[in-house]
Amino acid sequence: MMCQNCGKNPATTHIKTIVNGTLTEYDLCSECARERGYTNFFKDMSFDFGNLLGGFIGTPTSRGTAVRCPKCGASFAEITESGKIGCAECYKVFHDRLMPTVHRIHGTAKHKGKVPGTSALRIVEPAGKIAVVEQSPIEKKRAELKAAIDAQNFEHAAELRDEIREMEKGEKDNG
Amino acid sequence: MANENRKWYEKAGAEGDVVISTRVRLARNLAQVPFPNRMTPDQKADVERRVRDALLNSNSAIAADFTFLAMDDLSNEQAVSLVERHIVSPEFIANSKGRGILISKDESISIMVNEEDHVRIQILHEGLALTETAETADRIDTLLNESLRFAFDPELGYLTQCPTNLGTGMRASVMLHLPALTESGAMSRIASNLSKLGLVIRGTYGEGSNVTGAMYQLSNQITLGLSEREAIENLQNIAMQLIQEERKARKTLTKNIAVQDKIGRSAGVLRGAKLLSCEEYMKLISNVRLGIAEGILSGVSLADITALTTAVQPATMIAEHGSNLPPQQRDILRADQVRKALSVLQ
Repeated sequence: MMCQNCGKNPATTHIKTIVNGTLTEYDLCSECARERGYTNFFKDMSFDFGNLLGGFIGTPTSRGTAVRCPKCGASFAEITESGKIGCAECYKVFHDRLMPTVHRIHGTAKHKGKVPGTSALRIVEPAGKIAVVEQSPIEKKRAELKAAIDAQNFEHAAELRDEIREMEKGEKDNG
Repeated sequence: MANENRKWYEKAGAEGDVVISTRVRLARNLAQVPFPNRMTPDQKADVERRVRDALLNSNSAIAADFTFLAMDDLSNEQAVSLVERHIVSPEFIANSKGRGILISKDESISIMVNEEDHVRIQILHEGLALTETAETADRIDTLLNESLRFAFDPELGYLTQCPTNLGTGMRASVMLHLPALTESGAMSRIASNLSKLGLVIRGTYGEGSNVTGAMYQLSNQITLGLSEREAIENLQNIAMQLIQEERKARKTLTKNIAVQDKIGRSAGVLRGAKLLSCEEYMKLISNVRLGIAEGILSGVSLADITALTTAVQPATMIAEHGSNLPPQQRDILRADQVRKALSVLQ
């Protein structure tokens, strides 16, 4: 299909949007898609926006070898074509082939942040910063102590150490 | 109207002269169930039931506040109106089979089921309120997690259908009105600088180069390797910088008699028009909003402008006034509604 805007280049980007109250779907070439702002950081990484994520997840070289995810039945070729991972298990089954993509999107970082089952409840501190309150007061003091030592602020560290001792004593008395 | 009965988009928020709203979205999937692109209709129905039960049968007081909408039961206009009110994505209504949404009374909290991921928690808040909004999202997630097991990997974080959402699964965004920065031609420079920081800015009601009404959406791109807190702080800092820049640019801009003229004329047209297309409205209301924010116009609040803008979007009007509303009739109704709302504008 040719681009519905310029009619000159092949359409590579499928767009769903609301125009005057009706859901409209149309196809654009990468040039027109960019002009209209349908771009994301894939483009900045000189990635061919192609069929959205399709071209992004490697090339479907594994067609034929057909290792399939035992949970959902997806092959790597299918994931590549649709740009969609089949299920949680796919991340294990195709781990080595998916990681280059993950790194291209996010860098080589590992997950930081909320973990299920933990209460990552956050409270607002006066300064408008978010504090993680899963730490008990005494754990918080210990973290402060460590930070003070790291910063070689020994005077403050000594104060904190004494406060922690007091708190530990209190804990024992209560417990 | 009493404040507690208002929808979130009918209230004014912090930094309301520049910031319209804040949105935080969390992507989650149930462990053991294929992602939506490989689900059977039965699995979709099962996930829908489980998510619904997790919220509505929870012991949380919040449960009483929610209604469940099955997308199959909605008319096309009702569905599009959900998009215009920023509750669901266009993608969500394009293929609505087996999809549903849990929505709170004031429409500030919504949980999409079987969209791109099994569960999409979305919190909307008026004005700039990133911390508060992220906190609410976190609480809803914790609540659902009491009875649902989410797919999670210690290294990759929350597992999502699209690898762009891996990690926290959190996308936070701020909707900004930046007429002065747009006018000064600074937006493309800003956009390219932001991409280096892992943030992105794009037009909201329009696209890219022809952004309607100078409305932009600033959001985080990276979800893996940054904690929720870091991502929020990052976004908060940049949003504050943009707000300052916009305010500075406005001071200079609004001294210009030609700009004052444009604001006055825009108000005049909106107050007198008998036929008003949505596109024309969006263009003119941007000038009026600027005029109110800078004290050139008065009598109507910024919150009223936000509420009006939502009310006169095409599908929202059809959903309100019936589906056999032809376009010209719609433009007449829109003009009526705008004239009434802005009659006290000075």
